[in-house]
Amino acid sequence: MKFDLVVIGAGPAGISAAIKARKNGAHVLIVDENPVAGGKLLGQLYEVPDKGWWIGQRIAEKLVDQATSIGVQFLQETEAWGIFPGWKVVLENSETIDTSYVLIATGAAEKALPIPGWTKPGVIAIGAAQVLTNYHRVKPGKRVAIIGVDPLSLSIAQELQLAGVEVVGIYLPPINPFSQEKADPHYLLTNLAKMSHLAPNQLLKTAGKMLHNPFVKKLAAKWYPANGLKIGNIPLYLRKRVMEIGGETEVDHIRVAPINRNGGTVLDDSIPVEVDCVCLSGGLYPLSELAGSVGCKMVTIKELGGTIPLYSPEMETTQSGLFVAGNITGIEGAKVAMAQGNLAATAISSRLGLLENPSSALEQAISEVEKERKNAILTFMPQVEEGREKVTTMWKTT
Amino acid sequence: MNDMIICRCEDVTLGELISHIENGSQTVKSLKLQTRAGMGICQGRTCRVLVEQVMTYYADESNIISSSVGTNFPIRPIRLAELAQNGKGDP
Repeated sequence: MKFDLVVIGAGPAGISAAIKARKNGAHVLIVDENPVAGGKLLGQLYEVPDKGWWIGQRIAEKLVDQATSIGVQFLQETEAWGIFPGWKVVLENSETIDTSYVLIATGAAEKALPIPGWTKPGVIAIGAAQVLTNYHRVKPGKRVAIIGVDPLSLSIAQELQLAGVEVVGIYLPPINPFSQEKADPHYLLTNLAKMSHLAPNQLLKTAGKMLHNPFVKKLAAKWYPANGLKIGNIPLYLRKRVMEIGGETEVDHIRVAPINRNGGTVLDDSIPVEVDCVCLSGGLYPLSELAGSVGCKMVTIKELGGTIPLYSPEMETTQSGLFVAGNITGIEGAKVAMAQGNLAATAISSRLGLLENPSSALEQAISEVEKERKNAILTFMPQVEEGREKVTTMWKTT
Repeated sequence: MNDMIICRCEDVTLGELISHIENGSQTVKSLKLQTRAGMGICQGRTCRVLVEQVMTYYADESNIISSSVGTNFPIRPIRLAELAQNGKGDP
């Protein structure tokens, strides 16, 4: 059987696209490598000011129910390892699916943040801590240290605390080839303020407020208290680095060194802090291997988090009939991903001749993406707007 | 820091990568082929970005020919039997 659309990835972008296309009359299949559909939604749990809790798992369940009820087919625990012209999507059991259009919505992966000792048992990525805690309801440890300050680590710190985990602190990584701006207290202070616009929780809001005063912002890196600020009950140490993760067979401590007022690390004053789990937050990067391997033109845009397939205003790649949506196009929140999925599905429906008034439908879908971007409560990449403009310019000159 | 593992699947350390750069590696692909970094079970999903960062951090800019490496199908580990059967009718 031939499908009109095969969606790769059952996250917020993929499922939203499948629903939209199916509603318009397309035959749609979603292929996803995970046991349960929902993607990154499954781990998300935070309080939105004045709007209550964002419970990703429930949102995922609703989306999947809706999709299934209108006839979207799901193939879970199935890896798609290749896409070939025509279009053919090849699955791990060597089954080949024929389809007119493909939407690649593979999302993002976590960037590793290597520091000495990072491969010991007990060191996990911050996203893994989120899934363990919020989805599997398993505490990743009793006393947890977080390394890397960003919107993701700040909100997951609070989620861990809600689950009864003792978070001993959020620290900077050492200066090395991998930590880059994550090791720079001044960069973090200036960008935390941008990223916490309409922040989802008290923790982000407090950090943001502290920095909206330009006087404070200027001096903050210098005068930020050496002992950290308690945000909620969690100490945020912008003047302490974890130099090493220690332990014989598994993590039992981190070695923490203070940063002096001139920005130097004082190794002689480093002390061990007992922990049984360390969460590393290196940020996210778009997961674009499928698009890259099938020959889509790829572009590296730092403002969007890495290398992405170049895409049109309708979310089509340079390979005609191959579309993208969600974090594969740049790191943003779930609501933007959903709106992008809608847009891609609208464009595909229009190509399939399923829409009565395609131009107004497309126009509306494009404006919804922009609206969600403006209203985003979490901004992962502070210069995301500039990044999107770069894509538009590059597409025009292709 | 040089004994820190960068490619966890193939046990490649930072020091090994640096020594290949010092010995003249000018592309991430050559680093990959000489050390097997990124060629293990995860196919570089963890270390690809890291090896690229090592290249740009330790090599002189004028010596770098390519600081990134492309991807190829299959993008996930598959059995040889699946590859052999793909698109060829009866095995």
